[in-house]
Amino acid sequence: MTDDVMRFFAAWMLTHEVADEGLKAAVLRGDEGGAEGMSGGADAFVDGLAAMVAEEKEKLKRDLEARARGEEVAIEQPRDPALEEVRFEVAELRGRLDNIESLLETLLRKLDR
Amino acid sequence: MASRSSVIVWTVLAHLAAELPSARFGLASAPVRRAAWARGLRRAFERLGPAFIKLGQLISVRPDEFSDELVAEMRSMQDAVPPLPAEAIRSVIEAEFGVGPDELWATFDDEPLASASIAQVHRATLAAAYRPVWGESLPAGADVVVKVVRPGAAASIRGDVAVARRLAGLIARTRLARRFDPVALLDEFATTLERELDLRVEGRFSDRFLFDFRDDPKVVAPRIVWPKSTARVLTMEFMRGWRLTEIEAAKAAGVDCFGLAVHGATAFMRQVFVYGRYHADLHPANLFVTPDNTIAYLDFGIVGYLTPEERMNITQVMAALVYRDADRAMRYSERLGVHVPPDRVEAVRAGLGTLLDGTTRPDGTRDFAHFGLGFLSLLGEHGVRIPSGYGLLIKSLATVEGVARALYPEIDIVATAQPFTTRILGAAMGDPARLRERMPEAVRAALRVLLT
Ligand SMILES: Nc1ncnc2c1ncn2[C@@H]1O[C@H](COP(=O)(O)OP(=O)(O)OP(=O)(O)O)[C@@H](O)[C@H]1O
Repeated sequence: MTDDVMRFFAAWMLTHEVADEGLKAAVLRGDEGGAEGMSGGADAFVDGLAAMVAEEKEKLKRDLEARARGEEVAIEQPRDPALEEVRFEVAELRGRLDNIESLLETLLRKLDR
Repeated sequence: MASRSSVIVWTVLAHLAAELPSARFGLASAPVRRAAWARGLRRAFERLGPAFIKLGQLISVRPDEFSDELVAEMRSMQDAVPPLPAEAIRSVIEAEFGVGPDELWATFDDEPLASASIAQVHRATLAAAYRPVWGESLPAGADVVVKVVRPGAAASIRGDVAVARRLAGLIARTRLARRFDPVALLDEFATTLERELDLRVEGRFSDRFLFDFRDDPKVVAPRIVWPKSTARVLTMEFMRGWRLTEIEAAKAAGVDCFGLAVHGATAFMRQVFVYGRYHADLHPANLFVTPDNTIAYLDFGIVGYLTPEERMNITQVMAALVYRDADRAMRYSERLGVHVPPDRVEAVRAGLGTLLDGTTRPDGTRDFAHFGLGFLSLLGEHGVRIPSGYGLLIKSLATVEGVARALYPEIDIVATAQPFTTRILGAAMGDPARLRERMPEAVRAALRVLLT
């Protein structure tokens, strides 16, 4: 979800690349933005975000160029998080069953005595 | 059991009395007196055992409730206790499983690996292979550790909690506590302790952690062996490596400490800002670096949880720190339950501004502990109550910073938070609902520019 949004901004930035000098300046400021480069406040945040989007944009650009050259571009497709979550929950349930099974064995062992 | 409460009272009084000379029998200046009492209390707590050691650890993260002297003193509390003889540990295992260690594991080492107030840790090897909840199978013969709750720990802690409630009332009447809500504090304390007494809670969190970091081969945690675990015995993978207290040895072995410091700090930010659940008991003995350049997180006894809403607000406060924005910090702290009385708002904002400006070290990196702990005491000075989760998180972040700087002194922990906060807030801005709301406005504005 986060990555989608970054891609969206990146695409937007790519199409506006030539046009917007103000944005370029913001990226520059955000890049430099350590403790000194920033005046602070909401503008600084926008600069920081712009710099990160710019990075994403460069990646997008490389991907697009590679695709134009006919290369195979592996689009990072994260596995479906909901599915992964269910997989984990099932595994966790198995862990609990293992645990309960051993508890049962303990109880039986104690009964035998 | 009246005897236990008199033991407690006498131990505390005896240790306070021992400090009388340093307090010049009450004639010394107030800070000197408070420091002496605090030292006496800390020593008494160490003597009184597990419940009090944990109580001290809890006090150490509540600068809003207790004096600076007491907080500082409790931070230095020692939790190393003489090990119990193997026989005592073997009998806990026997009581839990109905059979002894020799039938449960292929080998069991009677020599403890570590011994703390609640649990003792021994090495062992697996008798049979096990497929853990997450990650690769552990083969037969794999090295494991067995963490065992000390016999009597649960009973003595529960008993002491009851007595501590009364004792808290006494402390409340001294000047060690500024404003004190003993019942609330002790309830919180009792809940934390109950969780720590059931090792399965810790085990489940370790599994969850492994899952959360499944895409990051550099961050690991022990895999849990569930068939050999109960509430009082936890069997888990043995993590090979160096504690952060043994960092020189790790460096000598060629571990990339710089890379691991940055990576470890980033992993912590991810726990806080992405998952909203984080290891809240980090200290240099709970964090390993391994020979194959990974970071192992150990001992998930205390875990902090954040609701999605809290997570968002925390992200905002962190962004405020990253971008030095006092207004933002005030606004979102308020949403986290930090209520500054109207007549104090200006003073707190000014103090916050000074803190934000003063967080830069001479080398240009930022000092989170200076900001975080400074913010907590600023709120304390103005009589503002700090919500419990907030204090815990700030203390954890300050600890992560300390730990990371031990590995790599020039690290800027605030900078590692920046990509997370910026991304998350950026994503919130790009929230479809918000875009739909704002887009028409932007499009209209654009059209206006084009048409005029
Ligand atoms: N899986 C493991 N692999 C290697 N060493 C371990 C492992 N688990 C624990 N240890 C060692 O044992 C020590 C104590 O373990 P742990 O921190 O889990 O116990 P604790 O009783 O909760 O202690 P504390 O008071 O420090 O929280 C750790 O600091 C670590 O050095």
